[in-house]
Amino acid sequence: MASKRKTTKYTGKPAKVLQSEPAIVIEWPRSLAHRHTYGKLSPFFKGLTEGKLLATKCVNRECGEHRLWLPPRADCPDCNQPMVWEELPQPIIGTVHTYARVEYAGAGIELTTPYFQIDVELPGVCTIFKGYLQHGTPEIGMKVKACFRTEDPSNTILDMYWIPVPSDADVRS
Amino acid sequence: MITLKEGNWRIPKWNRKVFAVAGGLTNYRKFCPEMKIEEQAMVAFRQMLENNDLRFSPVEIKGLVNFLACGSFADHFQDQLLCEAKVTDYLGLDPMYDIGIKTGGATGGSTVLTAAMAIASGYADVALAIGWERMSEVDTRTGNYYIATAACKDFETRLSRIYSAYYAPMAVRFAWAYNLSEETRAKVAVKNHLYAYYSPYSQQPGKYTIQDVLNSPMSTYPLRFLECCAMTDGAACMLLCDEKTAYKLTDKPCELFIAGGSHTLRVADRRDMEIPLLPHETPEMYRGLRKKEGQRWPGFESFAAARFAAYFAYRMAGITNPLKELDLVELHDAFTISDIQTYGDIGLRPYGQEPDYIESGDAYFGGKCPANLSGGLIGTMHAVGATGIFSGVECLWQLQGKYDKFHGDRRIWDSFGKKKPEDWKSLQVPNAKQALWISHAGVGSHVTAGILRKAF
Ligand SMILES: [Zn+2]
Repeated sequence: MASKRKTTKYTGKPAKVLQSEPAIVIEWPRSLAHRHTYGKLSPFFKGLTEGKLLATKCVNRECGEHRLWLPPRADCPDCNQPMVWEELPQPIIGTVHTYARVEYAGAGIELTTPYFQIDVELPGVCTIFKGYLQHGTPEIGMKVKACFRTEDPSNTILDMYWIPVPSDADVRS
Repeated sequence: MITLKEGNWRIPKWNRKVFAVAGGLTNYRKFCPEMKIEEQAMVAFRQMLENNDLRFSPVEIKGLVNFLACGSFADHFQDQLLCEAKVTDYLGLDPMYDIGIKTGGATGGSTVLTAAMAIASGYADVALAIGWERMSEVDTRTGNYYIATAACKDFETRLSRIYSAYYAPMAVRFAWAYNLSEETRAKVAVKNHLYAYYSPYSQQPGKYTIQDVLNSPMSTYPLRFLECCAMTDGAACMLLCDEKTAYKLTDKPCELFIAGGSHTLRVADRRDMEIPLLPHETPEMYRGLRKKEGQRWPGFESFAAARFAAYFAYRMAGITNPLKELDLVELHDAFTISDIQTYGDIGLRPYGQEPDYIESGDAYFGGKCPANLSGGLIGTMHAVGATGIFSGVECLWQLQGKYDKFHGDRRIWDSFGKKKPEDWKSLQVPNAKQALWISHAGVGSHVTAGILRKAF
């Protein structure tokens, strides 16, 4: 019955007008939290929090690719068969393939700028693994060692970082 | 190692010829509050219908359209799902079917490819390729983060949240592998900002010196802000037809070929592979290419997606020597380094000699095959969904001999509230017969190579 129907009320928060000339521009707030799954890569992210670096490997004998994958993937792109996990032996020493110094990062950055992002070659791995250098200055060919943020982990890829491996000359001096 | 079989190598083929006849652009700017995105699409659409010397009236042409390909890259920028339905309605093209296209930075190229496939298959006789982006809905740093979600979410995005940080490692590696100087990179920026100076559509025109570029603030080392494209609000469109309709509509149609290639989003995962050779290349050319330790192809130096796009497009169009047969190119210079990397991928120079395309003068107006006379992405615009259409339209106008008409007309400058420079000069390439444009996504995840050929 129409007479008993309650009046519809506005319950929102008025949009802030940012400018009114040459056209009205309002603020449109958005604040969202997504639920994101690590899916079959969950062992990798759990591994980081335990100080382990886990890669995947195709064990299909008919496949042509038997090197490790890092970032890992659960299934082999060459033969489409499920892969198996393999932990990299410690210490994990890689070689800087290339690098960049991030000075101006986008919103939400969780590292203090400027910092060095590095791409690391690892023996027996068919891919090149992106990470960041905690201290020091990278150059192509430099040796770096993997470290893990096992205390108070971020539960993201940032739980792993690299530090320079002192060269023989540095050790002697 | 990726190994390809016979079917993968098949050269794409149209079932019937495809032609481009007209194009439209907008006044590209970082923030365009006076117009909504569909209103900007209308501006481009109107320029296409009214100012391209078509023989039919706008309403008659609309009566011929029976398919739309609509490109827009980022739903999280515009915050409007199914925006294509709004645009199609706004342009008055309902109830023609529109398909939304989304391949990152290559969205524009993919949009033209989709419209071309509609013509080639016979689905449509007249198809509209239209693209847009409205990036100013968020502040710049949020925009940087949004774009960085086009890197791998789990393994890359948190490591920078800005796209220059995914290209900077390529710049470092390329310089190490192939002796690229910072000055050569800066020359690309100087050139494209300068060409933008002659364009009324441009967002970042400027007469800079190499030193200005090298002294500009750093985005991600080694890439400076003047070496990076901006975020843009704007739209672009192109009208495609079958042969019969094309000659009915215009006396200046251009035949179109376009093909694409894709590669994994993470550069990290690009395993070494055989280099697919372009028609003018031989295996001997690349015997010594990977002589340094750890070198791989495409690795961080090159884009397999661009190489495959060129591999297919050149064969589709019967091009046997790109540098000789192309009169100009419009490349996807989102960053100076990606522009330079592409010279090798599309065969303007052999791999390893990319910097010479700039240093030789070939890339400049008056050179053998000038690049980005439009001002490109660095100088003129990167309204992502529109970009690959904008580059194609600039090629089309060059081939139609209409550079001056669309860049030199004072009324266009005035309508954008801009002052035509006193020292404006024409960048019309004389007798241009064939042009190529590249539309490129991610760190080379999707690339289309489009070729336009004068058909009059
Ligand atoms: Zn396999």
